[in-house]
Amino acid sequence: MAIKRPEPELLHHIPLKFVRDRVSGHGRKAVDHQIPLIPFIDFLIVLVIFLLMSFSASGELVAQQPTITMPDAENTEQIEISPIIAVDERVITLDGTRVADTQTQGQSAQVDRIEPLIQGLEAEKRKWETIHPSEPFAGQVIVQADRDIDFRVVKKVMFSAAAAGYGNVSFAVNQRER
Amino acid sequence: MAAIETGGEGSGKKAVNQEIPLIPFIDLLLCCVMFLLATAVWNQLAAMNANQQVPGQASTEDAPPEDEKVRLILQVRNSGYVLGSSAGESIDIKKRVVAEQKEFDVDELETKLAQWKQAWDKRDDLIVAPEDGVRYEDVIRAMDVASAAGFTNLSMADGAAFL
Repeated sequence: MAIKRPEPELLHHIPLKFVRDRVSGHGRKAVDHQIPLIPFIDFLIVLVIFLLMSFSASGELVAQQPTITMPDAENTEQIEISPIIAVDERVITLDGTRVADTQTQGQSAQVDRIEPLIQGLEAEKRKWETIHPSEPFAGQVIVQADRDIDFRVVKKVMFSAAAAGYGNVSFAVNQRER
Repeated sequence: MAAIETGGEGSGKKAVNQEIPLIPFIDLLLCCVMFLLATAVWNQLAAMNANQQVPGQASTEDAPPEDEKVRLILQVRNSGYVLGSSAGESIDIKKRVVAEQKEFDVDELETKLAQWKQAWDKRDDLIVAPEDGVRYEDVIRAMDVASAAGFTNLSMADGAAFL
């Protein structure tokens, strides 16, 4: 009951001398090679474990935009699905649709309503109420702003969101390790 | 392929040699890798929640206790932080000079908020009132420090209303 040492077996059953010579080498380089499967499986298992550790069941609700560098924060909560208002140095967008210029909004000291944003959010609200007729409206919106933006612009965005019925604001941030 | 051989053909007994099917196992692992790579989320994004507070707005709680009528306010001004309450308290935390640049004194804010939390231990609500001209990152930093101190129910208000 011994465990047999694995040996090259490829083409060994062919009863031809020149094939056996060719396979076993005999002065030349042998062409019989073993594919190292066990290290390959080890590598795959390590890869699967690493990917499982970075797996998120909720998926990516907010995409990182190249023009926006979000601030970092430690004491955060999980992002929930809501309309996304992105504010970068040039434009303010609602779910990817441009609604205002950031510089124009930053120049005036008055808290102005951003009408295209209000209309877009009201349309989103009507859509949500049609889909969820029996549930109370949460009025939550995600603000994804660049960290160097003047808060005056964010304030106008929040004011417009409140005017459209979105009183709860989630500021998107990069999670910092505690 | 991977095999365990434990002797001869059995000579009348049932053979105990076993072949481990490695190829289907590799296929399964490769499928797992592809699925996990396709669904991987590399950005650790999160949110800081706040509701919008209009100055003078009544609390939504029914019959709040007497001390809850006092509103606790953290103003983020261009000159620094100001911790105040509608009872008349006011703590000024000026910006400090670091490498010839004025920066918000976050350490001092942490200390003062911890003292405030001890004084108002039943309260978890705080109104954050940023002034125009303050960087968005500085407001988020102040909210983060307030959350760490135990003020988890944050509201946003216009800083100009408290000047």
